[in-house]
Amino acid sequence: MTSARTPSPQVGTRLTPGQEVGVAVIGSGFAGLGLAIRLRQRGETDFLVLERGDDVGGTWRDNTYPGAACDVQSHLYSFSFAPNPDWPRTYSGQPEIQAYLQATAARSGVYPHCVFGAEVTDARWDDDARRWRVRTTAGELTARVLVTAAGALADPAYPDIPGLGSFAGTVMHSARWNGDHDLTGERVAVVGTGASAVQIVPAIQPQVAAVTVYQRTPAWVVPRGDRPVSSTARRIYRRLPAAQKAVRGALYAAREALVLGMAKRRELLAPVGRMARAHLEGQVRDPQLRAALTPDYTIGCKRILISNDWYPAVSAPNAEVVTAGIAEVRPHSVVTRDGVERPTDTIVLATGFAVTDLPIAHRIAGRDGRTLAEVWDAGMVTNRGCTVAGFPNLFLLVGPNVGVGHTSMVYMIESQLAYVLDALRTMADERLEVLETTPQAQESYRQLIAARSQGTVWLTGGCGSWYLDRHGHNTTLWPDFTFRFRRLTRRLDRENYLGTPAPAGTRPEVAA
Amino acid sequence: MTALVQRQVVAVRTPDGAQLHATVEGDDSAPVTLVLAHGWTLAQGAWDDVAAELAPSVATGELRLVRYDQRGHGRSTWGTTEPVSIDLLGEDLTAVLARCAPTGPVVLGGHSMGGMTIMCLAAHHPELIGPRVRGVALVDTSAGELHRTPRTAAQRLQQRLEPGLLALALNRGRLVERLRRLSPPSARAHQRFVRGLLYGADASDAMVRRGAEIMHASSVRAFAVFYPALGAHDQRDGLSALTTVPVEVLVGAEDRLTPVRHSRQLAEVLPDAVLHVEPRCGHMLPQERPALVADALRRLLTRAVEPSGAR
Repeated sequence: MTSARTPSPQVGTRLTPGQEVGVAVIGSGFAGLGLAIRLRQRGETDFLVLERGDDVGGTWRDNTYPGAACDVQSHLYSFSFAPNPDWPRTYSGQPEIQAYLQATAARSGVYPHCVFGAEVTDARWDDDARRWRVRTTAGELTARVLVTAAGALADPAYPDIPGLGSFAGTVMHSARWNGDHDLTGERVAVVGTGASAVQIVPAIQPQVAAVTVYQRTPAWVVPRGDRPVSSTARRIYRRLPAAQKAVRGALYAAREALVLGMAKRRELLAPVGRMARAHLEGQVRDPQLRAALTPDYTIGCKRILISNDWYPAVSAPNAEVVTAGIAEVRPHSVVTRDGVERPTDTIVLATGFAVTDLPIAHRIAGRDGRTLAEVWDAGMVTNRGCTVAGFPNLFLLVGPNVGVGHTSMVYMIESQLAYVLDALRTMADERLEVLETTPQAQESYRQLIAARSQGTVWLTGGCGSWYLDRHGHNTTLWPDFTFRFRRLTRRLDRENYLGTPAPAGTRPEVAA
Repeated sequence: MTALVQRQVVAVRTPDGAQLHATVEGDDSAPVTLVLAHGWTLAQGAWDDVAAELAPSVATGELRLVRYDQRGHGRSTWGTTEPVSIDLLGEDLTAVLARCAPTGPVVLGGHSMGGMTIMCLAAHHPELIGPRVRGVALVDTSAGELHRTPRTAAQRLQQRLEPGLLALALNRGRLVERLRRLSPPSARAHQRFVRGLLYGADASDAMVRRGAEIMHASSVRAFAVFYPALGAHDQRDGLSALTTVPVEVLVGAEDRLTPVRHSRQLAEVLPDAVLHVEPRCGHMLPQERPALVADALRRLLTRAVEPSGAR
């Protein structure tokens, strides 16, 4: 399935045989792009961004489904080092965010460093050469430092529904939307009620004949205060960047207050729960539908969704919410466990992403030949969500325990960028060819995450979510105030790393 | 898995732009379709108990079942027609038939205002009665004269004040909604009131609560604009079309909204109609006696698919 995206006017570069590079970055979403921009800002040129798609943007390039938008205000959900005074709305849609990423990439001169169509198939550490050997669908290369910014919301998760393959109509995942497929007049099944479904259903409901939402767990939904940004405000932001910075700071502080309730004192979540309940009761009159949409777990345990049109859409005359659970898919229908068969033309899988078992982890092998996935089989362990013992010169962006559900992911990414850049600087300053964290550092970081996760709403709120791995451990979320993560990653914790100096007479600089 | 039940939600568009939320269950090839119309300030959920009684017939493919929310009720929207009338609901029902049961024999069941809806359909589309509509169940309903001529000074005063009060309720809809929320269906006083108004001696608390919840979900507007429409409903002279098909008339002996005399009047005008007065029941027979209502419907359904001539 390909979307109807227009090809990017920007062209990247190509790999040359035997190419060696200082830093290879996997992915060009907010994380990979952010690193590339920061490297360019420091005058670096010895780096490449390996991108499997045909343009930068990552999640925001891929998620083109109708209604796709960000749940965090744009003033906050953008690079601090690339402010955009022209955001059209409080919450921007996918096209605006993608345009911002493209424009920022172009302005920063990172397109010439991007290799498009280069999906990393395997990357292994060559301990003799002290290099990463990276193979991609666009060729091979050697890198002194490898940064994986492949992201957590990158690879669609497909539900294991019997018969799905036999469906005669169209099946599409929200993250692989087929814009050419016209849903007008169709009977559409939407599987899932997460952040994507809550945006898709209101967007398609007016045009389809009927929309059936197959729900496993209802989400808590709060109102979305979305407004156009006035031209006056935009003028002010353009002339007075400090004003936009102040707005950004205020939004950050307001969102950070949620952590008090989610991770510290649960009773502080009660008003948020009351707000969500009033939102539901104000928008849904039907008692049976209201009951089906009422969550039975503490608000915040799963991601809180924000929408003003989700409840009206599922209460529409042509909508239905089904809680019975899908038993199987037949060529022209969806069958639920209660023995009801609903004729269906198109199935939309709004089933999210493979988050706790990252596909890229299966493709990166460390010093002893084992992949990250194998090493992490018993649970993901890292130092500061960024480095892994046995994987020298590898940095993870948006890796384990860096996720946030309450605020801007870009804030966390920028915290990580500072850490990676300081590591590169340290390698250059100390003339190190290899930098590797220790198992002890990982263990104490694991304990820190476990201790901070204890008692949080994500572990004890009475829900299952993509925040937890199959062992029930929080491996996805940063379980504390995000400014604490920033403090922890401001500089490289040099004491937790072993460095190997470059042999005399070689050129050890690593993009610093 | 054993026999599956087909189910789909359909938004039926009326000529004036209303969208009616309909639920269609059963196989398209079933020999007969039953369409159920609910009462004032209720929704299709009021038929749930009757539908459960009929579910086995739906599962075996003997019956298609269509339930829908009347305009302004449940999930259905309002059209542009103002003021609304029961005649308009009759037109809505023809739209539901055209969209959800375009061919084949049909049996109609109406509770309270839903019964009046069927009478209006029969009066304005007599051509449908017989060829398409093969039987009608009229439950707790009336052909007219619901708002009686006031006799006492108090009743006269009430009649004088009613339009103003309704207009006030409409204009202050938000306030009224907020006041309604002060006494939710979970409140004992709320349930006592609903029981006293609508239910008979045998009604269980759970039954009353469920009915109260459905009514609580309806809007002030649905209450206010259909109240005068119900008063204006008068099909005592328009029932002749229904003399050609089997009709079952059911009413609770303790019905206070459409008392037994209304059903007796129906039975008089429709001499072949079967009248059943159920003791210890009020105005909510589809909830209070779902088996009784389902039995009446089944009799009609059986006759509807009998070879012609049996009628």
